Amino acid sequence: MATVTIDNKQYEFEGRPLLLQFCTDRGIEIPHFCYHPSMSVPANCRQCLVKAGTPAVDRATRQPKLDEEGNPVIQYFPKLMTSCSMEITDGMVVHTHRSSELVERAQKDNLEFLLVNHPLDCPICDQAGHCPLQIQAYKYGPEGSRFEFEKVHKPKHIKLGPRVMLDGERCINCTRCTRFTAEVSGSHQLTIIERGVNNFPMTPPGVEFDEPYSMNVIDICPVGALTSIDFRFKARIWEMSSAPSITATNAKGSNCFYWVKNNEVLKITARQNTEVNDYWLPDEDREGYQRFNDDRPHGPSGKTDGGMRPMSWEESYAAAVDVLETADPARVLFVGSPHATVEDNYLLSKLAGHLGADTPVYLEHTVPGSGDNWLITDDKTPNASGCERLGFNAADVPLLRSKIQAGGYDVIYVLEDDPVSSGLFDSNVDAKVILHYYNTTNATLAAASVAFPAAMIVETVGTYVNVDGHAQRVRPAKAVKGVNRTLQMEMGKSRLDQHGTPFDKWYDETKLVDCKPGWEIIPEVAKGLGLELSYRGPKQIMEEVSTALPSFTGATYESMGLVGVRLSDTPTLV
Amino acid sequence: MATNNGAQFNRHPEPTFSSDQLVFTSDEKSAMQGYLEMYPEPEGAIMRGLWLAQEKFGFLPPEVIRLVADELGIPYARAYGVATFYTQYFKQKKGTYVLDVCTCFSCQVCGGYDILHYLEDKLGIKAGETSEDGLFTIQEAECLGACGSAPMLQITNGRYVHNLTESKVDSLVSDLKDGKMPAFESVTLPQDETEMGGNRRDDVESLEYYKTPPVAETFE
Amino acid sequence: MEVAKQGTSKAGNWRDYERVLLPKVKNLHKLEVYEENGGYQALKAVLTEEKWTPKAVTDEVKASGLRGRGGAGFNAGLKWSFMPPVDDKPRYLCCNGDESEPGTFKDRQLLEYNPHLVIEGILIACYAMSITTCYLYIRGEFADWITHIEHELEKAYAKGYVGKNIMGTGFSTDVVIHKGAGAYICGEETSLMNSLEGKRAYPRIKPPFPAQKGCWNYPTTINNVETLACAPLIINKGAEWYSAIGAPTHPGPVLYGISGHVNRPGVYEFPTGMLITDLINEVAGGMRGGKKLKAVIPGGSSTPPLRADMIDGVTMDADSLRTAGSMMGTGGMLVLDETVDMVTWLKRVSHFYHHESCGQCTPCREGTGWLEDIVGRIDRGEGNVRDLDLLADLCTQMEGRTVCALADAAAWPVRYTIERFRDEFVAKCKPTLTPAGSPLTVDA
Ligand SMILES: Cc1cc2nc3c(=O)[nH]c(=O)nc-3n(C[C@H](O)[C@H](O)[C@H](O)COP(=O)(O)O)c2cc1C
Ligand code: SF4
Ligand code: SF4
Ligand code: FES
Ligand code: FES
Repeated sequence: MATVTIDNKQYEFEGRPLLLQFCTDRGIEIPHFCYHPSMSVPANCRQCLVKAGTPAVDRATRQPKLDEEGNPVIQYFPKLMTSCSMEITDGMVVHTHRSSELVERAQKDNLEFLLVNHPLDCPICDQAGHCPLQIQAYKYGPEGSRFEFEKVHKPKHIKLGPRVMLDGERCINCTRCTRFTAEVSGSHQLTIIERGVNNFPMTPPGVEFDEPYSMNVIDICPVGALTSIDFRFKARIWEMSSAPSITATNAKGSNCFYWVKNNEVLKITARQNTEVNDYWLPDEDREGYQRFNDDRPHGPSGKTDGGMRPMSWEESYAAAVDVLETADPARVLFVGSPHATVEDNYLLSKLAGHLGADTPVYLEHTVPGSGDNWLITDDKTPNASGCERLGFNAADVPLLRSKIQAGGYDVIYVLEDDPVSSGLFDSNVDAKVILHYYNTTNATLAAASVAFPAAMIVETVGTYVNVDGHAQRVRPAKAVKGVNRTLQMEMGKSRLDQHGTPFDKWYDETKLVDCKPGWEIIPEVAKGLGLELSYRGPKQIMEEVSTALPSFTGATYESMGLVGVRLSDTPTLV
Repeated sequence: MATNNGAQFNRHPEPTFSSDQLVFTSDEKSAMQGYLEMYPEPEGAIMRGLWLAQEKFGFLPPEVIRLVADELGIPYARAYGVATFYTQYFKQKKGTYVLDVCTCFSCQVCGGYDILHYLEDKLGIKAGETSEDGLFTIQEAECLGACGSAPMLQITNGRYVHNLTESKVDSLVSDLKDGKMPAFESVTLPQDETEMGGNRRDDVESLEYYKTPPVAETFE
Repeated sequence: MEVAKQGTSKAGNWRDYERVLLPKVKNLHKLEVYEENGGYQALKAVLTEEKWTPKAVTDEVKASGLRGRGGAGFNAGLKWSFMPPVDDKPRYLCCNGDESEPGTFKDRQLLEYNPHLVIEGILIACYAMSITTCYLYIRGEFADWITHIEHELEKAYAKGYVGKNIMGTGFSTDVVIHKGAGAYICGEETSLMNSLEGKRAYPRIKPPFPAQKGCWNYPTTINNVETLACAPLIINKGAEWYSAIGAPTHPGPVLYGISGHVNRPGVYEFPTGMLITDLINEVAGGMRGGKKLKAVIPGGSSTPPLRADMIDGVTMDADSLRTAGSMMGTGGMLVLDETVDMVTWLKRVSHFYHHESCGQCTPCREGTGWLEDIVGRIDRGEGNVRDLDLLADLCTQMEGRTVCALADAAAWPVRYTIERFRDEFVAKCKPTLTPAGSPLTVDA
């Protein structure tokens, strides 16, 4: 096996990996800015310098030269090398700043240059706290500055487009953003303009930076030159917690972080998953996080003679049981949900089966032609695939609507969806409706007999299957009201020994939504109907699903981890 | 030092040319086609395309750069990034005659700045400015590759004027005011000066060739 | 700095030297005249004579010892031999006529007086490397010369010297003239390729080298105009003839572009290895106005300046100049007399590099401006003596740490001008006072 020696330690490698990537993968940090694994390598920031050499070869014999002790003589490259662009070869010897003062000095020197024209306005910069320039300047940079001249001025506060703001003075010209629009999204909306020290990225005049993936440049900008217009000045990074999860905007299930402060989601950023979305998110995935915070219900409600009124959870369970108990199973329609987790849908199908009703259907939410064969799909829900794999069929809305209108059903049980908006029935429908819902703007609320506020994707634990059959877990980013140990175990803690202390960014009591995940509500209803669904939590539910249903083979929480698993292609009916 | 002042930066400038003006003639279009054929990929043609447009429109405001990009079928941003990289592409309107006075390396020590300041005083404008009548723009240029005939200047990306003296500048300015562009000067090979009278090309318009100064006449 | 004082001219009997790049022929730029004087015979030979396989041509050029005239001085034939074996993919030659290095103006003269020699050289190089397209990159400022060459190239096309099926031999090569638009950096070979490709002319990292991945990612060789013009001469007269001219390790005829304070500035053709003193005093007619020599910048602005007392016995070839503490560069020699203020001069040189940095990589983008700022401050009398150390530090921080050599080219003049003319710099700095009020030479 080929080997490379980095800071006097040997590593094996295969192929011709790039040194910086190789080191990063092994936790050997080398400061860098311009390198991005998914784009071309311009090696322009010059931060990742290392000292490197290869075994010297005797010209005459073509054998490696050996020193007196029989060790290969290393011939060092005359210049320091950029590790991001250097392929490792067998026998190569590398010194990073850890074992070479020259490299340490070079990295310091480079940071000094990077900072001379940088405005150093960290106190008012959104990037501060998670800024590669700030972090690496502290770690590897010089103590002070020897620059005593006026800095170069460039345009600031420029709205490049509806979502992205530019501060040209902060830019370090790494060209990540322009490479993104040229190589990744292909929109070609950005270019570096001018020359030399006046360089900065810009759209050509008259062009808005409004491509559907524009906000990715905010994630990859290694400084605060590109910031989110929406998020600007809303919170400092250290006031927030982040939860690794997936987005729910469409069927791609792109991986993301939900950023939470005071128990409100304030922004969504991309999380790497080469199987799904690489490093990217469409802008639509990042927008609309307000629905997690706004118009959220306060506890369950139910219809009594006097109309809708708030109920306790126990009352609401009983009300639902009441409705279902007396109904003719053939006249009960279960509507599953492509918004809800596999676990919730699975429990719903068990309940339907227990009562003797038909397998649930689900409502499709597709906008034909809106997809781009990349990270935006026609399907605007995250789990239609999961529903299909559970054996649910997409509802034939006109057919079902006429059956409902003709009085074909007495009870309609709706999991986390809005069939009235979908036109499945009208709000004055005769059938009794049991509804799990997210937002008070849900049009089906008006038709509901019992309404359960449901935990959203940012508040629950569960599994989603994306359009390509990739099964992924979600984790709670914000807390809900009440004690749910499973949820609390999964939340990111400020202090590992305590649950939900006021130090946690999701703790704010005034902002706790009184809602519950489906896997907590459905078992309570089932219990009233004589069905014990006593799982220790969604993890155990998924264990059952993955063994009971071939279409979910392998989809355990352990194997899904942070990046998910690809399920086999053939969904099988229950 | 050239700086971009943030406050003044205008991302959506009013176009200078109307859409009626923003068209290429069929000759120009076929020239563009020719440029495309010179390179394996259309992007290669951008520099020639911008040159053609600058000759036609006098300078390259954004709408003209976009026109070129569209004509060549390449991204506008790419064309704009290229246009702003090079100094010879004028992004702002300039005078009819842009006088690029070399003050670089050799010219600076051979009186390049004297010529520049003489011109500035004569035309009443500073380097970088355009005279009120719109006739002249003076610019300070980097080495133009004619250091042997320093000090020198270039007129609007074209003609070189070598071995400048104040009187040469005087007649140049008055000629230009009359619309007379100086003729191409073939710079002598000094090794041929004695035997072949300079061995200058005889197929250029001007016969008043520059003669290598044999002695230090031009230096006080 | 040790000075090599003992050298003698390596240019032999240069007074009787017969010029070959710019021979004494009237109107040689015209195709007819060029033909009458043996033009395109070297091309005909390589295309028709059996002994001239492409490899044989390359080997001949390699054996001649021809070193690149664009600045780096790399063996041209060796560079050609780096091209990978022929396959069905395109490969390119770029002829570098960007000529923007301050103090350099010889390619322009060559293109003006003997354009067909360059074209013939291009074609021979294309044959040697089995290339079917050459881009002749000429800086945009040379608009008049581009017109002239286009005219002559058209004639060469019409005569069947260029284009399809050259001289009926089945060999085809196109020569395409690319017009630059004002950017020194385009002379750097990889920047030139990006410029051709219609990108912002940022230099590329090496490796991959152009011979592996050049224009449009295909194998490419880049040579200077004057380098390629030597090829027909080598074919016609042989490698031995060529390598016997001038300095043995850096042979051949070379165009010296002499500018500055001499009586007869201009482009001169002589063998390499001329004594600098001969070039100034005899060739260029001596110092203008009889003034005293102060400094010589031997090969363009990037090459370190030599103080007058450092040039005795120094000859114009790579070895001698290296020993003396400078470089051959482009052979564009600037001669400065005693009237020059080296601080002011350096300020303007630094401005050039600041203005021409492409801005791609950090040390150059930020460093060139900083150098200019500091030198400017010293020039205005506002500098401190410790600024000189800072300048040296910044040079160290730039040299060898960038994508291309422009940063080195910007740093060297600063480093060596200060090193070699330190007194002038110190004299312009603010006097530093100790608390007691007595001036110090070095800032505490
Ligand atoms: C900043 C910079 C500018 C350069 N400018 C030129 C130039 O104007 N003309 C040129 O022929 N070579 C120039 N070079 C050298 C080229 O990169 C390249 O080495 C040369 O064209 C190769 O040709 P040669 O081997 O025939 O000399 C420049 C190099 C650098 C680093
Ligand atoms: S704006 Fe950010 S991503 Fe773009 S070039 Fe500047 S530093 Fe890099
Ligand atoms: S060294 Fe300077 S000119 Fe060369 S690539 Fe870097 S920034 Fe550009
Ligand atoms: S990360 Fe290697 S040069 Fe930027
Ligand atoms: S320095 Fe002026 S032309 Fe070269």
